[in-house]
Amino acid sequence: MQNDLSHLQDYLPVLVMAFVALGFVVTTMVLTHWLGPKRKTKIKSEAFECGIESQGNARSPFSIKYFLVAILFVLFDVEVIFMYPWAVIFKDLGLFGLLEMFTFMGLMIVGLIYIIKRGALNWD
Amino acid sequence: MKELVITSLLGIGVLAFDILKLRKFILPLIVVGLLAVVGASIVDWGMNENLFGKNMIIMDNYALGFTSILCLLTLAWILTSTDYFTNEISRTDLYALVLFALCGGYVMCSYTNLVMLFIGIEILSIPMYVLAASNKRDMLSNEAGFKYFFLGALASSILLFGIALVYGATGSFQLDAIKNVLATAGSGTIMTAGILMIFTGFAFKVGIAPFHMWTPDVYQGAPTVITGLMSTMVKGAAFAAFFRLYYLGFTPTLEFTASIFAVLAGLSLIVANVMATIQVNAKRLLAYSSISHAGFMLAAVMTADSMNPRMLMYYVLVYGIASLTSFNVLYHVSKFQNGAEGFDAFKGLVKRNPVMAGAMTLSLLSMAGIPPLAGFMAKYFVISHILERGYTWLVIIMVLTSAVAVYYYLRIIVSMLTPIENAGRIVSTDSNRIGLLVLSIAMVAMFFLAAFV
Repeated sequence: MQNDLSHLQDYLPVLVMAFVALGFVVTTMVLTHWLGPKRKTKIKSEAFECGIESQGNARSPFSIKYFLVAILFVLFDVEVIFMYPWAVIFKDLGLFGLLEMFTFMGLMIVGLIYIIKRGALNWD
Repeated sequence: MKELVITSLLGIGVLAFDILKLRKFILPLIVVGLLAVVGASIVDWGMNENLFGKNMIIMDNYALGFTSILCLLTLAWILTSTDYFTNEISRTDLYALVLFALCGGYVMCSYTNLVMLFIGIEILSIPMYVLAASNKRDMLSNEAGFKYFFLGALASSILLFGIALVYGATGSFQLDAIKNVLATAGSGTIMTAGILMIFTGFAFKVGIAPFHMWTPDVYQGAPTVITGLMSTMVKGAAFAAFFRLYYLGFTPTLEFTASIFAVLAGLSLIVANVMATIQVNAKRLLAYSSISHAGFMLAAVMTADSMNPRMLMYYVLVYGIASLTSFNVLYHVSKFQNGAEGFDAFKGLVKRNPVMAGAMTLSLLSMAGIPPLAGFMAKYFVISHILERGYTWLVIIMVLTSAVAVYYYLRIIVSMLTPIENAGRIVSTDSNRIGLLVLSIAMVAMFFLAAFV
């Protein structure tokens, strides 16, 4: 029954790494708060946005259209991510790989045409 | 392979037909496609086809049996609720999502690798989250989708953590390799933790007490037609996956987990049936009834080492048919009464639509387990098997809670028989009428066909 506990030793570096990462964050934060000078003013504690004075509240409702476009962008972004590993071994895969990728893209294009027809990308 | 390819192409085909303005032909396309899947699983019977490399998915007879059951249930579901789809603007989305979810169901009943199990669960779950919230203007539907998504994601993450721990302990995702390690080396601390986490994840997904809290809210909030799909196809696929895990992989661990299974099965039966008696909403009552059936099916999973999987298939099919019918009738009844879902909504149904009243009566009696309806045989198989294995106390709970169940099912039946004045007829489409008749006949016929299980 001890055999799988001995497995745990393999994960010891992961545990050490986790402690080092956590320790680094805690140490640097504590040190900077402790060592650094504190001169708080109203302007300093404001949200920093490229030096421009901040206006209004960030928590105002956005139009749902932005989310639609964003989520559809993610979809096609992921499609491109799939192409990277495919492109790396493109020559080894040969014609088979090409046809597989065409099938995949064909399915995505049906989806794209469908969302355009459904009016998901109409701004008005 | 054919089954998966046909169903996923069917989903794409539905979208393509919508683009090409062939909306009239979408329904025939789905019917033909799903029948083709059943045909393909008959052709593949006994072939043990190995998909996606070595031992990722094996289309054995277990998988093909569940594939055709899920497929037939979905087909019956679509044909009995055509009037729901004709009123929906986004019906193409609904059709496509259901078909993609069905693909996930196939993967869940044919996996031999834990990674495939996880992928299957996600393919099934994500469309279901969307479908639960598909009634966009209704707050309850939104709540249902939100709750289903968050608790489903939590359950998935627990399951995934469990899979990772099992991998850490055995060095493999393959069910047969895990079984070998368990049989030779036994299970150590990490393995036990992993197995219990996987079990918890599954218990969440199938809605077993004490992880059932989301079930009544989600079932009640989601559109009734979608709830019908959740309690048949989704539940069937989840139990197929659960049983397969213990049938092919974790069999040796049943020695120490069987007692946990038995306690949770008993708890589900007691909690679900006691809670169901105090419900005033028929939809919520059916949700609790589905939890009590989950208790029965969990008892089947508990004895996966000695039980014939056909008995679980029979249970899933019989419960699926009964549940499908009852949710379908509930949908039509509440549609004609401004969404009323109380028992009063059923008043005078015998006069208002005899076919629906008959089908509803048969389905409720089948769920209660009264002969000569198939539900009796389904419960009989489970009870007789666990009695052989010596769980007398669990059998006593099952029988007692079934008696309680008769009480609350009869409340709906009594309501249907109560006459009311000046009530209009509840109209239904031809396909709905024929569908309900076929399902009613199936409920009786399967009682007599049980001898072949």
